[in-house]
Amino acid sequence: MIAQEAQYRNWMLAALAGDAGAYRMLLAGLTRHLRSYYARRLDSGAAEDAVQETLIAIHARRATYDPHLPFTAWVYGIARYKLIDEYRRHKRRATVPLDEANELFSHDEAGEAMARRDVSKLLAKLPPAKRQLVTDIKLDGVSVAEAAQRTGLSESAVKVTVHRAIKSLGEDLKDERRGDADR
Amino acid sequence: MRTDDLITHLSSELEPVKSGAVARLLLGAVLLGIAGSVLVMLTVVGPRHNLAGAMTHPGMWTKLAYSFAIAAFGLWLVERAGRPGAEIARPIVALALPLLAIVLLAGLQMSAPGADMPGLVMGRSSRVCATYVTLTALPTLAATFWALRKLAPTRLTLAGAGAGLFAGAAGAFVYCFHCNEEAAPFIAIWYTLGIVAVTGLGALLGRTLLRW
Repeated sequence: MIAQEAQYRNWMLAALAGDAGAYRMLLAGLTRHLRSYYARRLDSGAAEDAVQETLIAIHARRATYDPHLPFTAWVYGIARYKLIDEYRRHKRRATVPLDEANELFSHDEAGEAMARRDVSKLLAKLPPAKRQLVTDIKLDGVSVAEAAQRTGLSESAVKVTVHRAIKSLGEDLKDERRGDADR
Repeated sequence: MRTDDLITHLSSELEPVKSGAVARLLLGAVLLGIAGSVLVMLTVVGPRHNLAGAMTHPGMWTKLAYSFAIAAFGLWLVERAGRPGAEIARPIVALALPLLAIVLLAGLQMSAPGADMPGLVMGRSSRVCATYVTLTALPTLAATFWALRKLAPTRLTLAGAGAGLFAGAAGAFVYCFHCNEEAAPFIAIWYTLGIVAVTGLGALLGRTLLRW
């Protein structure tokens, strides 16, 4: 099961009932995944167009979501279709795997730089408590509020901790690169 | 337009979706399409003589049941194919049931003592049957495509084939009221051939006509 399934599905059901606030959060959340998904497969101009096209398609065809089925699979089906459509328009031949909804939802913009690295290797450099927070929030999609509850920290403390941890990981990365270049 | 503005715009024009919207859309299209197919059958070939009498004949019910079952599973396939991320395996497996049944019945009739083989297989209208089934199916095919275009098929050839399968079977069902063949082997071969032809046509057209 994809981590965001329950949250996104709830937003979608609320949106189908007419809740514009939930719908906004849903679209904003999906946009982060879509951006990263298309950025890794198309050049930058085409990628943002594909994000918008997909959002419009989600909107126009939202009635085709069957609440008995996983919402993430529905979104992935549309994202994949739009990707193939984009390839087709540019006469590129490509095979796109059928069932990789995980591929869409395991990435978002914030995680992008890290995703290319060996994430676990990097994370191992963090102290255990910080590592847990970063893993929960940045990789597993746990909300800040939920993480705060788990750890007993305040929400702002969680945000600051995660922010600092990511920053220090970024510095580690830079150091490593410098090391690679020296070699 | 910036993506943030697009999101604001889309959420500002959000309207609730009634549950069963897809089912209503499909049902409307299907009824309209079948009405068109009935019109084609009535004007091009006309209903058979002694239709009321034929309704008591088991052969009539065999072909009605066969084409109805394929149409029902075909429509199920269309409904699944119109939804991204939905499984399509179950309707496809279900389609094996009517096929198996008609083949079994055809085998029984052909192996009966004193069976008139050429009569059972060729009947009197084998040369036109598949063509008329295809012709009768066309209005339903158009209506099913129209409905599918409003859904979100992500595998276009498959969705088109599903639409063709449903329309072919619906066309065959309507054609039953003209056709005076009663033998299971005839139905198993010539009706199926007509349905397969419309399925192929749907698969071909799907790639281009179903894009969104």
